[in-house]
Amino acid sequence: MDVALIGEGTYPHQFGGVSVWCDQLVRGMPDYDFSLVALVATGNEPVRWSIPDNVTSVTTMPLWGPPPSGPTSRWPGRRKLRSVPCPALGELIEILLAPPGEHLIRFGEVLREVFEFAQTENLSAALSSEAAVELLAEAWQDWNLDATEAAPTLHDAVMYMQLLEHSLRPLSHPPVRADVAHAVTNGLGALPAFAAKWRYGTPMIVTEHGIYMREQYLHSRGGPFRWPVRALHLRLLRRLCSLGYHEAEMITPGNVYNKRWEEQLGADMSRVRTVYNGVDPADFPASEGEPDVPTISWAGRVDPIKDLETLLLAFALVHQKMPEAKLRMFGAPPPGQEAYLERCKALAAELGLSEAATFEGRVPLIRDAYDAGQIVVLCSITEGFPYTLIEAMTTGRPCVATDVGGISEAVADTGMIVPPRNPEALAQSCLTLLQDGSLRRRLGAAARMRALEYFTVDRAISAFDEIYTFVGTGLELPTAELDDESDDLLVTALPERDDETELLEAAG
Amino acid sequence: MTAESPPQAAESRLTVANGRAHTPRTVTALCEQYAEVCESAVDPLEIASALELEGLGDQAAKLRYGYADVFALAQDMYFRVPRKPVEPELPPDPWQEGGRLRPVLHSLLYALPGVCFPAAIGLLTGPGAPITLIVALAVAWSAGQGLAFLGYTRLGRTLDIAQTRRVLRLGLVIGLGLIVIAMLAMSRVVQPIHPTTSVLLFGLGEGAYMFGAGVLLVLGAEVWLLVALAPGVLGSAVFLILGRPPDLEHLTWGLLAATPVIALIIAVVRTRPTGPREGSLFVREEWLGAVPAVAFGLVSAGLLIFPVAAGPHGHGGINVGALLAGLPLSLSMGAAESSLLWYRRRTQKLMRTISDIGSFGIRARLILLAAVAMYVAAAAALMALTVVVANAIGLAHWQTGYLPQMAAYLMLGTAMFLALTLQALGSRIFPLVVGAMALGFEILCRNLGVSAQIVACAELLIVTGGYATIVLGRAVRHAW
Repeated sequence: MDVALIGEGTYPHQFGGVSVWCDQLVRGMPDYDFSLVALVATGNEPVRWSIPDNVTSVTTMPLWGPPPSGPTSRWPGRRKLRSVPCPALGELIEILLAPPGEHLIRFGEVLREVFEFAQTENLSAALSSEAAVELLAEAWQDWNLDATEAAPTLHDAVMYMQLLEHSLRPLSHPPVRADVAHAVTNGLGALPAFAAKWRYGTPMIVTEHGIYMREQYLHSRGGPFRWPVRALHLRLLRRLCSLGYHEAEMITPGNVYNKRWEEQLGADMSRVRTVYNGVDPADFPASEGEPDVPTISWAGRVDPIKDLETLLLAFALVHQKMPEAKLRMFGAPPPGQEAYLERCKALAAELGLSEAATFEGRVPLIRDAYDAGQIVVLCSITEGFPYTLIEAMTTGRPCVATDVGGISEAVADTGMIVPPRNPEALAQSCLTLLQDGSLRRRLGAAARMRALEYFTVDRAISAFDEIYTFVGTGLELPTAELDDESDDLLVTALPERDDETELLEAAG
Repeated sequence: MTAESPPQAAESRLTVANGRAHTPRTVTALCEQYAEVCESAVDPLEIASALELEGLGDQAAKLRYGYADVFALAQDMYFRVPRKPVEPELPPDPWQEGGRLRPVLHSLLYALPGVCFPAAIGLLTGPGAPITLIVALAVAWSAGQGLAFLGYTRLGRTLDIAQTRRVLRLGLVIGLGLIVIAMLAMSRVVQPIHPTTSVLLFGLGEGAYMFGAGVLLVLGAEVWLLVALAPGVLGSAVFLILGRPPDLEHLTWGLLAATPVIALIIAVVRTRPTGPREGSLFVREEWLGAVPAVAFGLVSAGLLIFPVAAGPHGHGGINVGALLAGLPLSLSMGAAESSLLWYRRRTQKLMRTISDIGSFGIRARLILLAAVAMYVAAAAALMALTVVVANAIGLAHWQTGYLPQMAAYLMLGTAMFLALTLQALGSRIFPLVVGAMALGFEILCRNLGVSAQIVACAELLIVTGGYATIVLGRAVRHAW
């Protein structure tokens, strides 16, 4: 079976959790052929992963850089450069100006018309034309603005048409041929899957590790665009997400938490199947023993969303009670976030923790980072279903983590969950675990047991093996996941639940 | 697949504390705390994402505020707080980088090498000298334009200075290769001319300086370029002021040779590889895109130099009028840059304050007219200044017969300014074609002398001006 695996800014050009997941999936399913479709920034990005043998092609679709060359004209070897007006553009703009949530079906039909146009004419030229800007500028005149103080200008119209041109570039590429189109993101990443579906009837699957739309809302705040441009662009993305859920035969979020957002964006819950990330237990054997000194370990990208500042503030409280305690932080900042690392170091110095809290950079074997601590902490303000957590759990380290994304689903009763940005609660939980060796060991063992049972790569791969088989052959999956009320996620209790309840309540 | 999912912790035990440390108790207070988010939100989901980011989830929405979930809470907050979006900070003005004095500095950089030519006159002897220098200038100018295009394009596309340095270094090597080949060809192939070794070396140095200068300008290292120019310019100036003493001639030539060598060394140092090798050196669109830039460099060099080289009547000889007008024209490129920056700032400001596309077209054309007037005034003043200075130091004696030639060059300068503006706003082929036609006309009709140049430059100005008036009135041309 051929699977088109479609991503945006991830595999095989970037590192990160989603790329790890894609690589695991492709390597774990050697009987499937994969065509990788990668939405990238400029097309100039190097391939950073070694490509597995069962990958038959890697297609890049740059959203920036030079526009895609238009379709071949009737003259051999010539490309269509001329701008021909796109007939569906007027209605597309009208739909985008309407409140979100309306006209979803018509949006799909109009987008399909735009796709058909892009396959025969130069869509980039059409969207970059003066006529297209004029169309938007005129439509904006009649727009019943929510924000009367942010009246759109001509500059906004030009900026938005540029954004639209870049956003819809994937529609100008020839649709990928496969038995299943699997978009490992939603929004723009779903466009190649739509194209395959419209052209060849290819069934599609949408997997979200984080929630695409939520990330777009957060990402757009403080950006360079004025409100009218931001509003229109987010409406386009929101409609694309809703259309992605609508067109997908199967929606496979990486955690149950994501389902809340997917439901808000109009996903049909009967098509949703949660498939958790998994790790290879062979890479994360149980940690033997503990460090002699009470030590908290943290591992990850040194990035503001990881909220190391709260961790440092919490550790300052821990350090007051346990002066011998150490905090070891493993990881490096991504390009552009070097200043954040410096900020954290300055905070550590300001708190008098320069010796007790150490930034140790990357470790060759991430397992060593978990072994370095008696407990592992994750204090992010946003997450999907982080590998760091399930890796640490697999080694048998108890975790203290913030209640964001799918973290509480991963940890459940085998660690401690605290609210984000709350140093006091984080410190309290860390102290409880650092001071109680028997609780640590019990939770660590429970964490490993839970991870081995539910969060292994084999489990994730066999889930997708089943999904591909059913979706690719057009069959309906045997059972549907239940809705929130009757969800079976709460059915089974861990044996030590009552004891832990007391302990956690004591900690609180 | 069955829904065999892991058991979960009971909700009441999910959090040790409820919500973030300082969460308000009422929705009104919450709206106040999140006022900026709510005022700028495009829909309720944006507020929900902000609340979740701060750790305020379904549980807190339910227990603390009595809503079904965080989405219901966000919906209510969206309707409670009217939209009053925060305006984003205006991006830094890319045309003011390096300050308003940058065009003045550029004018200086364009003008200063002019001092070197009179000092090197002793080197530039023999029948092959003019044609060799013209070939060197044409190669350096055209390849230099291509180099600058590649550098600016990579920098603008990737914002990656490391990649840009690598591209510039490659362009530098190619440019040097071209100038070496050109000078070798002049020495070996064009036998009847027999340029002297000193002329060939001067041509080589001229090319090397222009490529080094091109690299440094793209990298914003104008001050380093001044450092490179210092020995050649200061040496030449002292030599000329002292009345060309023969015993200082070789020292001056040595200082002249130092300028391209230093420029090259600095360019090589500034383009040394840093960090991992990312991005391909050869991006087809970039290299193809450089072709019109190279061709335009060739055409503009031809338009500027041909009347000088062809002589007053198209049969060779010194064309003093062309020299007097051509020199200030090359100096006026600083004024052209300044006028262009003013034009771009004004049109951008207009776009950010107007919503009617028709009004924009009219007003943008008026701004273009004003920018042209600014450039023409500066170029005419420079020409007048050149005449006065040349007259005063006895380099040339003013004759009213030079006026038509100066008028032709003024038209050429104006057309070049318009071409520069068109190129800056994405129209690169049209100015090239029209310029090539004008140059072709001048070459074919060289027997007509200055009349041919006047006709060619008038045609160039009218057609380029007409095209610019149409094209630059369109809003999409000003997208930035």
